[in-house]
Amino acid sequence: MVKIKYLLIGVPMVIIGIVVAFIVFPSEEKKVKKSFNLLSEWVSKSPEENAFTMLQKMKNIGTLFDESCELKVPSQSLSGSYKREEISTYAGSARSYFSQLHLKFYDFHILFPEKEGVKVTLTSRLTGKSTAGEQLDETRELECVLKKIEKKWLFSQIEVVEVLKK
Amino acid sequence: MEPTYHDGGFNFCWRLRTLFSEPRRFDVVAVRFAGSKVMLLKRVVALEYEQVEFRDGKLLIDGKAIEEPYLHYPCDWNLSPRRVEKDCVYVIGDNRGMPIENHHFGQTSKGRIMGTPLW
Repeated sequence: MVKIKYLLIGVPMVIIGIVVAFIVFPSEEKKVKKSFNLLSEWVSKSPEENAFTMLQKMKNIGTLFDESCELKVPSQSLSGSYKREEISTYAGSARSYFSQLHLKFYDFHILFPEKEGVKVTLTSRLTGKSTAGEQLDETRELECVLKKIEKKWLFSQIEVVEVLKK
Repeated sequence: MEPTYHDGGFNFCWRLRTLFSEPRRFDVVAVRFAGSKVMLLKRVVALEYEQVEFRDGKLLIDGKAIEEPYLHYPCDWNLSPRRVEKDCVYVIGDNRGMPIENHHFGQTSKGRIMGTPLW
């Protein structure tokens, strides 16, 4: 009887302990996904967004990137290495063309080739409406490299994969 | 893929169709990105090693004009000849009424083809 009593108390406590541990100490994979979730949140824009939120989001976007981040876009002049501040400025400028923006990520494939680096392949979908009323719907496969710097996973390379080659 | 398939429409992907057989010309196929959550619907117009070209809106395969009865919008595209690489197919949507630079089309690996729409 005593054994059963201990089991009834012990088992739920162990389960609760495991759940708490998962919440308090998220896996590296979850931390990597968090960087993407934050990017998605800060790139996205609602029509009601005020100037203060806009500036805050613009500043926040930069914090997700390494000191310099390499962008590789096939057959476009956008490819190159960008500093964190440049990314913030360009992101702010690009967002101002749109009244609505939604960035979503799908199909994460996360690989840890080294301890302080991660390679993520995924699908990104950017939808929205320009201030002139034009619809935007761009889907791309991305290969991203993130580095762990001061316990944060920061983007150090983003490559657009050419799924359809004209 | 307008007008054959409408934006926001609902369909199923028949994966067995391309699992055991090669995609054929004019097949409508689902092309995957990083996974199967987001896919493109496109039509296969050229097979590996064939040469694709557009001249005044007309599709030419290996220099010969191809009839495309599924097209309903006027097209004025021009695209210089290019050869489809090994293990690839050339896919294009049916909505050729839009400018060529805005249309997402081209050569893709057969490994990215997930199947065909069920209807």
